[in-house]
Amino acid sequence: MTKLTTIELRSTEEFQMIKITDQVRKAVEESGVRNGVVFIISAHTTTSIMINESLPCVEKDIEIMLDRLVPADGDYVHTRMLHSYGTCSGNAPGHLKSMLCGNHMVLPVQDGKLVSGAAQDIYFVEFDGLKVRRCFIQVMGE
Amino acid sequence: MIIDIHAHPVIYGAICADRGRVAFRQQNFGLYKSGPTPMDHIFNVLDHAGVDRTVLLAEDYSFDMKEPIVTNEEVRSLVDLAPDRFIGFASVDPRNAGAADSLRYAFGTLGLSGLKLNLSHLHMYPTDERLKELYRICEEAGKPVMFHAGMSWEPDSPSRWSRPILFEDVAVDYPELRFCLAHLGWPWIDETMMMVLKYRHVYTDTATVFMGSPKDYYRQVFMDGMDRGWFENSLSRKIMYGSNYPRFRQERVKDGLLALPVRDDVKKAVLGENAQVFLGWKEDRYD
Repeated sequence: MTKLTTIELRSTEEFQMIKITDQVRKAVEESGVRNGVVFIISAHTTTSIMINESLPCVEKDIEIMLDRLVPADGDYVHTRMLHSYGTCSGNAPGHLKSMLCGNHMVLPVQDGKLVSGAAQDIYFVEFDGLKVRRCFIQVMGE
Repeated sequence: MIIDIHAHPVIYGAICADRGRVAFRQQNFGLYKSGPTPMDHIFNVLDHAGVDRTVLLAEDYSFDMKEPIVTNEEVRSLVDLAPDRFIGFASVDPRNAGAADSLRYAFGTLGLSGLKLNLSHLHMYPTDERLKELYRICEEAGKPVMFHAGMSWEPDSPSRWSRPILFEDVAVDYPELRFCLAHLGWPWIDETMMMVLKYRHVYTDTATVFMGSPKDYYRQVFMDGMDRGWFENSLSRKIMYGSNYPRFRQERVKDGLLALPVRDDVKKAVLGENAQVFLGWKEDRYD
């Protein structure tokens, strides 16, 4: 069986690591799936799903590392008017950070509960805030 | 005070309850994939950008479209939501017989603060007879006009109607009328700069980042495209911070202006003081 839950998030910073572990845990427990896996998937192209330790120093290191790899003022091709949106693209760094970090994570489900390591938290990561965002939580199993 | 003099509320959630209206706006304003945004998010974005006030522009081409893209009443309703954050500009379609009365109503009853006109979309030159009564009303009421100038992204809006030099007769014939040639009149920036340099009540705004990043773009226009002293000493009191939201984000436009290697008093003027003079809130010390 499968169960899809969609959650809405509102980022309040240009870069933001939003912890969604509790929402994922709740979606798993309400899914009716006893044993299987849960996919946590971003609906966007300038965001990511990460699993890491919820410490401010780790979060800051992630931000600094990504800014070093993909500087805000880099020389990007994706800086032009997008006719299909009627707006200018100014978010190439967000797209590239999203590509580097990936759009989903997977964790096990056992006995109707999310299974994760003691240090693991799940983040929805914003690279192009401030935005209204969606995240899919797809539980699959029996 | 930081004032964004040029924003389009076309996707503000509070005026997007009707899906048909939203689709109409997306198509006719040229926004297509950009969709409605909740108001609390709008305020978060403004707070994060450090923008204190935003001018919201109505858009009326109802003579051929049958309804305005954004009505004066919709702008008034947004101002009522946050009178300390929003400043409303009216729009009327001069091709309609009752345009002058609509403008008087927008100023007198709705309390709107200026007039927005996109002559490219209206297919008329600045000296068109149908505009003259509107100019007189604005001049007598002390309300400014925001003219689209230069290229327009809106569909069916040829740029030739909005070439900056064509507005010179308006500046001559209505010497007390404050007006803004928006978007730096791009690509005719030199013509726009001549206008703001020569005519006391003519302004322009920075809502013109159509290519590249704001930092690169403003450096190219204001530093590489002209002598730094021209910008700092002769033009800086006539250029206003405008984002053209939602075509570009307020925060990034502001950051691009702040990154210019110019004096702090110049940045302060561009980011808000000039808009206060344009809006009639502050004494014009031009001499």
